[in-house]
Amino acid sequence: MTTTKTPVSFRPRELVVAEDGTGHLVGSRCPTCGAHYFPTREVCAGCLTEDLETVPLPRRGTLYTYTVVHQSTPAFETPYVLGYVDLEAPVRVMGQIDVDPEEVAIGMALELKIVPWGTDDEGRTVWGYRFGGVS
Amino acid sequence: MTDVYVIGIGMTQFGKHPDRTTASLGAEAVRKAIHDAGIDPRVIQTGYAGHVFQPMVTGQQVLAQVGLAGIPLANVENACSSGATAIRGSYLDILAGVADVSLAFGTEHLTGAFKGAFTPGEDDPEAAVGATMPAVYAMRARRYMEEFGLTREQLARISVKNKRNAALNPLAHFKKDITIDDVLAARPIAEPFGLLDCSPVSDGAAAVVLASGDWVKRHGDPARAVRLAASALRTGEVETAPGSMTFEVLTHKTARDAYEAAGVGPEDVDFAEVHDCFTIAEILRIEGLGLFEQGTYPHAVERGEADIGGRFPVNPSGGLLGKGHPLAATGVAQVVELTKQLRGEAEDRQIEGARVGIAHCRGGKAAGVEGAACTVQILVR
Repeated sequence: MTTTKTPVSFRPRELVVAEDGTGHLVGSRCPTCGAHYFPTREVCAGCLTEDLETVPLPRRGTLYTYTVVHQSTPAFETPYVLGYVDLEAPVRVMGQIDVDPEEVAIGMALELKIVPWGTDDEGRTVWGYRFGGVS
Repeated sequence: MTDVYVIGIGMTQFGKHPDRTTASLGAEAVRKAIHDAGIDPRVIQTGYAGHVFQPMVTGQQVLAQVGLAGIPLANVENACSSGATAIRGSYLDILAGVADVSLAFGTEHLTGAFKGAFTPGEDDPEAAVGATMPAVYAMRARRYMEEFGLTREQLARISVKNKRNAALNPLAHFKKDITIDDVLAARPIAEPFGLLDCSPVSDGAAAVVLASGDWVKRHGDPARAVRLAASALRTGEVETAPGSMTFEVLTHKTARDAYEAAGVGPEDVDFAEVHDCFTIAEILRIEGLGLFEQGTYPHAVERGEADIGGRFPVNPSGGLLGKGHPLAATGVAQVVELTKQLRGEAEDRQIEGARVGIAHCRGGKAAGVEGAACTVQILVR
């Protein structure tokens, strides 16, 4: 049993998970030119502004491309669908896609889903993300 | 400014070498290059050693085995562009007048260090969600299919062509012709790729000796020296907005630097060795280098234009798909092949009348960056 209510994120710098199980990806936004980055950056590659803002990234986007992975590292059970999703910032993020391999298609609308990713040393659920169909 | 020439080349058998070490492979390639150059090794003044997953100071271990200890040497890691980056070190030393003769090599005992699919760096956010290198390229292939109507069979033809060339290369990892059906029936890796769309895990080493134009005039064999007219290197830029994955800006910009340095354009180039780590990669490289219009290269391959004997041969050595891909050795082995072709020493793979060859390597991946390191080298007879 755990005493803390804050869910554990698989990568806290990139994914924030709230107590109610919702969450968002964390990126950077350039206050000067408006460019977004994922993962976060310290300097804007477009205009070299240094004080980038850390911002929650939009949850929705469209699938730019995808593959079905059949051979991976021991950390992942195969097969799984992997894709690049263009979020509405715009910024491109890679993630696993929770859509049947027969139905996945370039251009489809997707949204961020917080999913169980594993357990930590203390037996707590660790949360990660995938993209799934828009409900 | 002085000219730079390749005066010696050496390469081990590419393949699986369970009984060898990184250093012994490197030493074999270096000795061959020194013998090919016909020089006393003591004329070599500087050295650069490319390797990726190997022990630190592998370069110095190689030097110790070939009697070359003492010279300044730097070990170079730039993922799959490590060997080509090592060549650039020697090239710059000669241009700068630091050395008249310099040695560059790449060596990799990959089967001893790695198995299965490569991933980006361990802490990379994309690796954390399941990215592998085959998956990243498979996604680019899928997008290219969507935009340009590329077919699965057209992709497979690239593997068939390169393995056919490899069967003519005694030092290649693969020795057997394959068919389109073989490619389609292979074990799936990351769709649309099967195993035969992916370069193999290979061990091997390759080395070159470079010398200045003055040195070649005084001591060399001008008939066998081939001019290294450009050795360009760039780093992938951070994308400020989602970019195209079907056109390689990084390759395009590196090629532009190389064409400018060499004083030639894509229309002057007769053949190419490019970084075909996966079947789609050959298409992306060739089009990024400006050698074919975007969307047209798969059709050219179908018409046989990229075959040895075709209008524009690509990867006559067998490429990474056929010759094998011992990471850091790859970029050096490409220059070895260009030199053989331009000397007229490529035997069964000889491209008739070739005068200008181009070599392209691209290595590494990080989230939000188009690619890590890219090199383009141009050799002129």
